Amino acid sequence: MGMGAFGDPRPKRSLNAEKQGLFSNASGWKSLITFTVLALAWISGFASRLFAVIRFESIIHEFDPWFNYRSTAYMVQHGFYNFLNWFDERAWYPLGRIVGGTVYPGLMITSGSIHYILHSLNIPVNIRDICVFLAPVFSGLTSISTYFLTKEIWSPGAGLFAACFIAIVPGYISRSVAGSYDNEGIAIFALQITYFLWVRSVKTGSIFWASLTALSYFYMVSAWGGYVFIINLIPLHVFALLLMGRYSSRLFTSYTTFYILGLIMSMQIPFVGFQPIRTSEHMAASGVFALMMAISFLKYVQTILTKAEMRYFYMIAVLGAGGVVFLAVVLLTYAGVIAPWSGRFYSLWDTGYAKIHIPIIASVSEHQPTTWFSFFFDLHILVTTFPVGLWYCIKNINDERVFIVLYAVSAVYFAGVMVRLMLTLTPVVCVLSGIAFSHLLGLYLKEEETMSTPDSDSETDDGSNEKSSRNLYDKAGKLRRMRHEQIKESDGLGSNVRGLIVMAMLMMLMMFAVHCTWVTGNAYSSPSIVLASYGQDGTRQILDDFREAYYWLSQNTHNDARVMSWWDYGYQIAGMANRTTLVDNNTWNNSHIALVGKAMSSNESEAYKIMTSLDVDYVLVIFGGVIGYSGDDINKFLWMVRIAEGEHPKDIRESDYFTERGEFRVDSEGTPTLLNCLMYKLSYYRFGELRMDYRSTPGFDRTRNVVIGNKNFDLTYLEEAYTTEHWLVRIYRVKKPDEFNRPRIPLSDRKIKRSKIFISKKTNKRKKGSIKNKPTVVKGKKPTKTA
Amino acid sequence: MTGLRVALVALVFLCGSSLAAPDVISPSLRVKQADRLVDLASQLVKINTQMVFENTGAEAARYVILVVDEAHTASMAYINAILVEPNKGGVKPMKLVETTVKGQERSGHRFYRVDLKTPLSTGKTVTITLETIHSHLLEPFPKEISQKEKQLIKYTGSHYIFSPYLVVKQKTTVNLSARNVESYTKLKPVSQADQSLNYGPYENIPAFSHDAMVIHCENNTPFLTVRNLQRAIEVSHWGNIAIEETVDLEHTGAILKGSFSRFEFQRESGSGLSSVKSFKTILPASATDAYYRDDIGNISTSNMRVMSDAVELNLRPRFPLFGGWKTHYVIGYNVPSYEYLYNSGDNYILKIRFIDHIFDDMIVDDAVTRIILPEGCTNIKLKAPYAINRLPDTLHFTYLDTKGRPVVVLHKTNLIEHHIQDVEISYTFPRLLMLQEPLLLIIALFLLFVLVIIYVRLDFSINKDEASENRLRIAGLVDKVLSHQLKRMTAYDAYDDQLNKLRQIKDLNSFNSSLKSVTSDLKAETQAIADHQTKLKSDGPELAEKVSELQKLDKALKEVLAQQQALYVEKLVPGKINRTAFLEVDGPLVKKKSDIREKISVVVKSLQH
Repeated sequence: MGMGAFGDPRPKRSLNAEKQGLFSNASGWKSLITFTVLALAWISGFASRLFAVIRFESIIHEFDPWFNYRSTAYMVQHGFYNFLNWFDERAWYPLGRIVGGTVYPGLMITSGSIHYILHSLNIPVNIRDICVFLAPVFSGLTSISTYFLTKEIWSPGAGLFAACFIAIVPGYISRSVAGSYDNEGIAIFALQITYFLWVRSVKTGSIFWASLTALSYFYMVSAWGGYVFIINLIPLHVFALLLMGRYSSRLFTSYTTFYILGLIMSMQIPFVGFQPIRTSEHMAASGVFALMMAISFLKYVQTILTKAEMRYFYMIAVLGAGGVVFLAVVLLTYAGVIAPWSGRFYSLWDTGYAKIHIPIIASVSEHQPTTWFSFFFDLHILVTTFPVGLWYCIKNINDERVFIVLYAVSAVYFAGVMVRLMLTLTPVVCVLSGIAFSHLLGLYLKEEETMSTPDSDSETDDGSNEKSSRNLYDKAGKLRRMRHEQIKESDGLGSNVRGLIVMAMLMMLMMFAVHCTWVTGNAYSSPSIVLASYGQDGTRQILDDFREAYYWLSQNTHNDARVMSWWDYGYQIAGMANRTTLVDNNTWNNSHIALVGKAMSSNESEAYKIMTSLDVDYVLVIFGGVIGYSGDDINKFLWMVRIAEGEHPKDIRESDYFTERGEFRVDSEGTPTLLNCLMYKLSYYRFGELRMDYRSTPGFDRTRNVVIGNKNFDLTYLEEAYTTEHWLVRIYRVKKPDEFNRPRIPLSDRKIKRSKIFISKKTNKRKKGSIKNKPTVVKGKKPTKTA
Repeated sequence: MTGLRVALVALVFLCGSSLAAPDVISPSLRVKQADRLVDLASQLVKINTQMVFENTGAEAARYVILVVDEAHTASMAYINAILVEPNKGGVKPMKLVETTVKGQERSGHRFYRVDLKTPLSTGKTVTITLETIHSHLLEPFPKEISQKEKQLIKYTGSHYIFSPYLVVKQKTTVNLSARNVESYTKLKPVSQADQSLNYGPYENIPAFSHDAMVIHCENNTPFLTVRNLQRAIEVSHWGNIAIEETVDLEHTGAILKGSFSRFEFQRESGSGLSSVKSFKTILPASATDAYYRDDIGNISTSNMRVMSDAVELNLRPRFPLFGGWKTHYVIGYNVPSYEYLYNSGDNYILKIRFIDHIFDDMIVDDAVTRIILPEGCTNIKLKAPYAINRLPDTLHFTYLDTKGRPVVVLHKTNLIEHHIQDVEISYTFPRLLMLQEPLLLIIALFLLFVLVIIYVRLDFSINKDEASENRLRIAGLVDKVLSHQLKRMTAYDAYDDQLNKLRQIKDLNSFNSSLKSVTSDLKAETQAIADHQTKLKSDGPELAEKVSELQKLDKALKEVLAQQQALYVEKLVPGKINRTAFLEVDGPLVKKKSDIREKISVVVKSLQH
């Protein structure tokens, strides 16, 4: 139904509908095919994202989505303004976190308003289900907006191709499966619709479209930090157009309108605040705005001055303006008004930067550079066809194709730097591949069509759309019957070759669809909080240890209990167990994380000092040694050490955890520092006694395939509070100072040694002094001899 | 007749007096023989006392008084009295009326009056069984145990049956769940046999005697308590009843002391004996679509077995429940409504269990059952099998509701399995209201379509776009021109065909007759195009130009055809021309014709764009 609002230009349709039936009505067919293809793209995109729901259940996945879900639930419960003012005292204990001001609220507002609308219609859908299914639903919107973008840039046929590609391409599915309730799920839609509106507004030069662009940019800003990409790409586009001498009043209108409105609106998001005028990332947009103004001024002056004067004036003005802007930016940066680029931003230019300076960024796997494998894995055939589309766009360049070219080039770069930014590359790859496929198929199907029977209006969508894109009013198919319009043998290829090419391309598309389904099903549809293992007979065993532990925490610890764990699990603990955490996935405070890292990598008594100073009640560690789960805390342990070392270089040294040969090992050759640190002890407490089966030695770690080095130890300062069925999550209670080392003796059993204590024999009656150990002298009596 | 009336009056009077005044414990009644069975084998204490009452006085006794002592009243979840009539074959439940007794108003004991159907005359006996079930009466002792230890409980009662009458002879059997008895009070004669203790017989114990009996023994049966049960029953007249229970469960046995060791729990058989790993919930036989979940999703460890008379759910909480540990879950299922909903006309009766089975020997501390009736129900009445607190009705809104569904909210505390009984809710529901929801949908969709139609058909733009309207009009005209052109060309094709025929068959008559219609067609179409051309002239001069060009070409084509016709009719058919000469004349004409056609198609194509 969302599509009904758009659709084809109406007049044509109604005009034709009057005279002719549906079957002879080409534009009717065209819109029918468009609707059908888009609807199918929506449905298949939605359906292929449901693997996780069908295999497991309707559940929020992974880590960040749990925070988003928790905030959404909070907003739904307490209202929007309370959400904006929300100070979360359950995170970052004892600091807390101002959630309302440090979050992109677009996601929560989107699902919150869907929830509100449904509930006002008395449709009692749980907010969790809305959150779970939000990303798949928005993927349909994404494919529609991709259709419009591609249609603006190339043709409706290419648009349909692009829409189908984006609906199922794994690079986008990876971030938008059901349950992956994250900003990216709606942000890609916002990105595409913003680009579409921008291209449209550049094309038309209308304030209306430019304002819509700004509005959708506002939505994007509210939804994802990736909005910086838009606010740099659009100025880049404008700048490139200016360089190419393609200045026009349309460009001027659209950019100035967009920039001003977008700037003001983006500053309404509390988390963004004054950043758009104060940070370097946003300066390109203002610079281009100033340039635009200068050029339009020059154009105006041009109408007054003569040509010779103009050239002279032009040189000075351009140089002067450029210099002034540059100097201003430099000076403002120097003076501290404009903040320099942030660390994450630097790591985009220098892939080694994060590893050296910000281990916390480097420790996240999705911040690693992308491998070739993952390009192919995520994009499959599109990775080879999108340069073709790019080439077509460059060959037939116009204002809006400049945009897509820039988009493609920059996105390819960023995707190469960070795995995570594959996401921004994927839409443009789909657009360009759509163009490539549509163009190629158009080339090869079109001739076929003329050779086939005359009433071949009911072609495949690609063919007829391609044809109609060229020949929009070509609906009088009967005209072709005229004898004098006999087909002339086409030059070029024969039908066999054409058929082969078309077949090959369809084959590739089919392989693409198969690949997408396979990748989605196998790689991107695991909720990661529920694990499944398959037995030899194909039976599935579900390992639900994470939820077991979190639910235990939520039910059986007191409400204010503070749980220390590595930051990966912070959001999950807050979301599922509803307990206070010390650090979480927000990672805004590196020193706090380092403190937790230090506690984990110190020995028990040192750790105890840190834990008591942080009021820790429980410690939670993930241990995969029993079932062979590789993502456990021991495998992450070196990052904890590194981060701790960054802040406490005197106490923690990474080299202490490596053997002399530079290996990190937990068996008997491991370093004593490692074998006695808190993380080791908590992971392996009583594991040394555990035998997997009768043949294996006790204490065999299945993740690292070694027998652990330190087996028989006891915990002094902590006690095991709960361990899940497969030992995956282990929770320890931190003892209070009076509990450890001093076994409690019941009052009746307490013996107080009094031997050395001097007890005065003075009483109220006898106040005479006495000398200690004085021999008693008995007077006037002979000692009697007892027999 | 009058006698009956007098008797009635007397009865009413009697009843009235009995309500107003406290009852009297008749000194002439005594318990001849009493057997008591105290069952401590589960977390509940089930006391079953069979008493043979004998009337030793002169006056017939109309009722007997039963009593529950102070220590047992607070925990009492269920009480029942049964008249045992072995010779008449069987047992008969009796009505218990709570009452007060003269001289005992201050005491904390609870007295019940059982009215005898036939007054007990002198020397006669009557056998009555009093059954009471108590929750939370067994006290874990010690209160805290470690994971390795067994759970011990302490029961404090009385050696003697607490009776308002003299008990001549009495015996007590205590059933335990395990052989291991730490200690028990030894009021002789007493003996221990396997899993039971036998006290008595004791003789001639006066009324209201109490002698503390303490039993301290092992009991590892699950000590589970439902702290709070929220049961929602949603009735749909479309054939389904959805039931959902939200359960707050707690292990109320001895609290776990110290740490929990997964290693010991998995490897050592004697570890965590009193913990609860799973339990069985029995659902109605027709239950389908069962789900078992909590706040964070499905609890993946449960099994469902469909049996002939019930559906058995083997529920395993996410974690084993040790003493003091809690959990919380939701269980839900559907049952078909024909098993529970009865109607006669517009009057309906819903017979459904107030609570349902959760686990064996369950204790429910607090239960709230919300029965959601269809929208539009009126005249709701409740009939309960036991005293249930009915809270004010509320409204519930769900799919397609407008004014909300009435909800009957029922509340009761301290429930056990014996409370699994049907409540009856009667209400009136006009059947026509069934159509409300489909109609609502139909109307909503209809309105949507109407809106779309209005939006598509009407122009809502603020400014009138002259240019585009113009363009549209022109496009329309061009369209018409093109269609006429198409027809004209078909007419020409026919013309051509006829000429060809003529050339071959040389039949002038048929040619002339068929030509007539063709020429008339041509004339009409040309005229129509000319009309449109004049209209076009004002709006789109360029296109009009093209159309006029079309007309010119058309004229030329017509001329060529006329020439050809002349050639055929005048020269060829009469045979005035030889073949080579004919071809010489005809060839250029054909060529010219195709040239013109080519040109026409070019113009047509340009018009199409």
